[in-house]
Amino acid sequence: MRIAERLRRLQISAGAAVAVLLYVLMYLVYAANESGVLSQFGITNLLNDTVVLAVAAAGLTLTVLTAEFDLSGIGVIAIANVVVATTSAGPAGWLVSLFGVLAIGAAVGLLNGWLVGVLRMQSLAVTIGTMIACEGVALLILAAPGGQVADSIANGLTGDLLGLPVAALIILGVLLLWFLLAVTRLGIALYAVGTDETAARLSGLAVRRTKLLAFVLAGMAYGLAGYMLSAQTGSGDPRASDGFLLFMYASVAIGGTSLMGGRGGVFGSVIGAGILTVMQKMLFALGAASFYTDVFSGLIMLVAILIGTLPRVMPRLRRSVA
Amino acid sequence: MAPRVTAATTEPSSEGQSTPPIHRRINPELVPGLMVLVCAIVLIAASKLMNPGAGFTQELAAVLGTSIFLVVASFGQGLTILLGGIDLSIGVVIGIAAMMISVLTDGRDATLPWAVPVTLAVGAAIGVVNGVGIALAKVPPFIMTLASGITFYGAGLGFTSGLAQEPVAPALERLMNGHWFGVPIPIFLIIAFVIAATVFQNGTSVGRKLYAIGSSPGAARVLGLPIGGLTVLAYTLSGLCAAIAGLFLAGYSSAATLDMGGPLLLPTIAAVVIGGASVMGGRGIYLGTFAGALFLSALETIITVLSLSQGLRDIIEGAIIVGALLAQGERWNWFRR
Amino acid sequence: MKKRGFKRLLQRLIFGAASLGAAAAMALSVPAEAAPYKVFLDLSYSGNVWQTEAANGIKALAETPPYDKEVTFKTVISGTDVQHQISDLQSMIAAGANAILFYPVSGTGLNRVIEQGCRRHVLMVAYDSSVTAPCAYNVNSLGGRYGANSAQWMVNQMGGKGELVINHGVAGTALTNLMDRQALDVFHKYPGIRIVAQFYGNWNDALSQEGISRILAAHPNIDAIWTVDGTWGSFQAVMQHRPSRLVVIAGQSNNGYRLAIGDPALQEKGLKGLSASFGPADGPYAFKVMMEILTGELKPTEHNIAYPLPWVPYDKVKLCTGLSFVNGCNVFPPGKVPPLFIDTALNGELLPELNLTAVENGTPVPGATIQKLPPVQYSDNLPGVNCEECKAPSDWLQPNRVTPIPAPK
Repeated sequence: MRIAERLRRLQISAGAAVAVLLYVLMYLVYAANESGVLSQFGITNLLNDTVVLAVAAAGLTLTVLTAEFDLSGIGVIAIANVVVATTSAGPAGWLVSLFGVLAIGAAVGLLNGWLVGVLRMQSLAVTIGTMIACEGVALLILAAPGGQVADSIANGLTGDLLGLPVAALIILGVLLLWFLLAVTRLGIALYAVGTDETAARLSGLAVRRTKLLAFVLAGMAYGLAGYMLSAQTGSGDPRASDGFLLFMYASVAIGGTSLMGGRGGVFGSVIGAGILTVMQKMLFALGAASFYTDVFSGLIMLVAILIGTLPRVMPRLRRSVA
Repeated sequence: MAPRVTAATTEPSSEGQSTPPIHRRINPELVPGLMVLVCAIVLIAASKLMNPGAGFTQELAAVLGTSIFLVVASFGQGLTILLGGIDLSIGVVIGIAAMMISVLTDGRDATLPWAVPVTLAVGAAIGVVNGVGIALAKVPPFIMTLASGITFYGAGLGFTSGLAQEPVAPALERLMNGHWFGVPIPIFLIIAFVIAATVFQNGTSVGRKLYAIGSSPGAARVLGLPIGGLTVLAYTLSGLCAAIAGLFLAGYSSAATLDMGGPLLLPTIAAVVIGGASVMGGRGIYLGTFAGALFLSALETIITVLSLSQGLRDIIEGAIIVGALLAQGERWNWFRR
Repeated sequence: MKKRGFKRLLQRLIFGAASLGAAAAMALSVPAEAAPYKVFLDLSYSGNVWQTEAANGIKALAETPPYDKEVTFKTVISGTDVQHQISDLQSMIAAGANAILFYPVSGTGLNRVIEQGCRRHVLMVAYDSSVTAPCAYNVNSLGGRYGANSAQWMVNQMGGKGELVINHGVAGTALTNLMDRQALDVFHKYPGIRIVAQFYGNWNDALSQEGISRILAAHPNIDAIWTVDGTWGSFQAVMQHRPSRLVVIAGQSNNGYRLAIGDPALQEKGLKGLSASFGPADGPYAFKVMMEILTGELKPTEHNIAYPLPWVPYDKVKLCTGLSFVNGCNVFPPGKVPPLFIDTALNGELLPELNLTAVENGTPVPGATIQKLPPVQYSDNLPGVNCEECKAPSDWLQPNRVTPIPAPK
């Protein structure tokens, strides 16, 4: 009982729990059909493939919880990638470029948050605008793929530290930050604003500030995701994140976060990102080729969501169980 | 006329309740659309100023003529957004419809009488799948349409390997590239479509019910509206509109590829939202969306003619979109007071 | 309460497993025959003409004897996301691939996974687009200097003066940057050439057609359009808005476009066209190169291997009667293929194993067997495009196929 209570406070919802089981299941299918999956090399590779999407989806979750859209993520990732590729191997080094991309993410988030939270413009259209503009900035910084990511980043972040893959440590770090955030005033406010904005305002919550902070934190997460992408690719490419946006949203939704706001959490989104990554690996291991991969990706996405939404489809069943 | 049924829940931003509509001179639903239309006209005029050699009517015809795909497809997108949903499968349906019409007609006009209905039916059928998934299985629209888009794209690849081996029927090409009385035919099509769409959305009881569901599903349920059926209808119409846009695009390009609708997806969403609709549902009219589509087409024209590097182009495009939102946003509340 | 909750989860899990199992059963359709080489094709973009024809040509070759007995061949579509392609390449390497032929979505972003593959002795070959990883082979037409040569050809046709529109490809790609630099370098030598508008048609015909339509409204007097792809769309826009006065144009080799530039009636209206640009046949050619390296028949001394740049000016267009390009013919009659069909998917000399049906359907030509390649040619080294630490030839910006005319006074 106590544990259930605590889990609830950490926002590990039923949806997220289903996602975990689905992840484990897919992972087992993958491991059973492909050799070397459970080796250190295989695990590190899988985590490296997951971490960018996981961190980006974690950031996106914060804005989704407040019932807002944020499409600017891929723009920020693109800028972060080209900035790391053009500065980190030079005098800036890994630390300065890390703070640099976090600051850039925060700045874009601040702009979004100001336009959406303070000026109350529609987040979907606003962030389409900022996404396009950010992609433009990335193209101005680096007109074609190139640049060089410092070895300390490219090797350091994709390898192991103290016997654990660095990607795993990053994901754990993001989750830890989330669990800390979820119990603060801001964390509670995120849910309150997303559930019912008017009620949140009437009960004295600072709605504008909450939204502003959600966008700023999301922007910083995108910056970090771009940093991790740079580590994985070892170079800059202004178009590297082109196809990424829908996967970010799919991660959030599969992880049990409602796109209408107020329900879900970062933990689920990280698992959602894991599901999408391992799904691709599993389909490959099972021998799905060419267009079948697309067909099955779509279907599995639907199945994952269906399983997660069953309790809401059958409210009576749920009531009887509770 | 004002289609808002339950104003209270649709206005997350209004402080307290707005004053009653006694002082209204303009239907507030029209304001964002009008502002965006003004922005579009300013853009066209600016482009004329930059290229004094160009004829104003030619510019206008270019903006209108190239907007037809967006004008048609964003009507369907608008209906799903009106219900608080979204349709991410539009780009895929456009590509599938374009491929189908090429394969089915194989360059012969005589096949059009059955090929067009079949193509439109397939587009609508994809919409039905989306609608059923959303209304009955309660899959969130975002995921339902994303997943069905990915799946049908894969199926399309499997059937066709991505390239229509057959040419498009010449009549369709003439429809998209011909003139009547010196005016491009697509402009007549746009006018007819806008009238039909507006009448459907704001002049029929079905349209009003869609507003009711979008602004308050709970109230709509209490009123006994067939929410499931109407949701399926909205997504079906969205699939149908995307299929029409696909026919037009195939005719315009005289050829079809499966990926040709992709670049249109995000603009359909942008057109609807820039036109003043709320993504939370229940708000927005098609004339606003139409203005949004024209605005985006005008923006594209001016950006194309500017001849800047893609980076600067993107930055300007993003800034102008945000600027247009600022112009139509809550700043203009005084119109309502 | 807790137990029943668990049961519910279990039920859902079983439901999920059942559907996954069904999916898996349907997916497992690849025969597990034992062939000596395990070869993968990794596509990035899909659903357009160019990529489809390249992939079909490769598939047809993989099933042509003796390759059909020598390789287990599998195609994977990775989409446009770098992460996705990295993950798929990793899977192929882990699955014990002997060779991977791939269309790289990024010229630099895949380098780490490519090196992973090389360390495990996987032969990594990129076609059409290039990568800078030194251990990979690049097979493409970069050495043909399309940018410089096509621009010079246009300048010569224009007499060194006139209003020009530039239809760039996809912004942010190495290929677009390179072609642009070469072309602009040539155009800028002629003060009489005025670039009145430039836009990014994304190698996409519908977008190019819209772009040129918009530009024609603002600049009704343009004389020429330079493209890399999206050529058919660009040409369509001119036919639609200014059918009585056509343009000098260079670009891709769509069948409809080749027919048009070879048409004397259109030539009389001012159409002077060049059909060149990168052809889909570089994919199948790369596959043959890869197979010959794999079997040890070919030991290339360099990693940048050239596929000859297709080059058909309007006066060299010649109609084919059959299904193949023989006796120098290079275009199919109208109605045989759709106008968007790219003719350079075929190559009578280097790829005699393929015909029209093969690149349309991905099926081998009955009775055909793989012919040995003539000695391979090597391409220009271009730092940042197809190699990392290398030197470009001093004249990499200059045309090497077309003789420049002097700038008119």
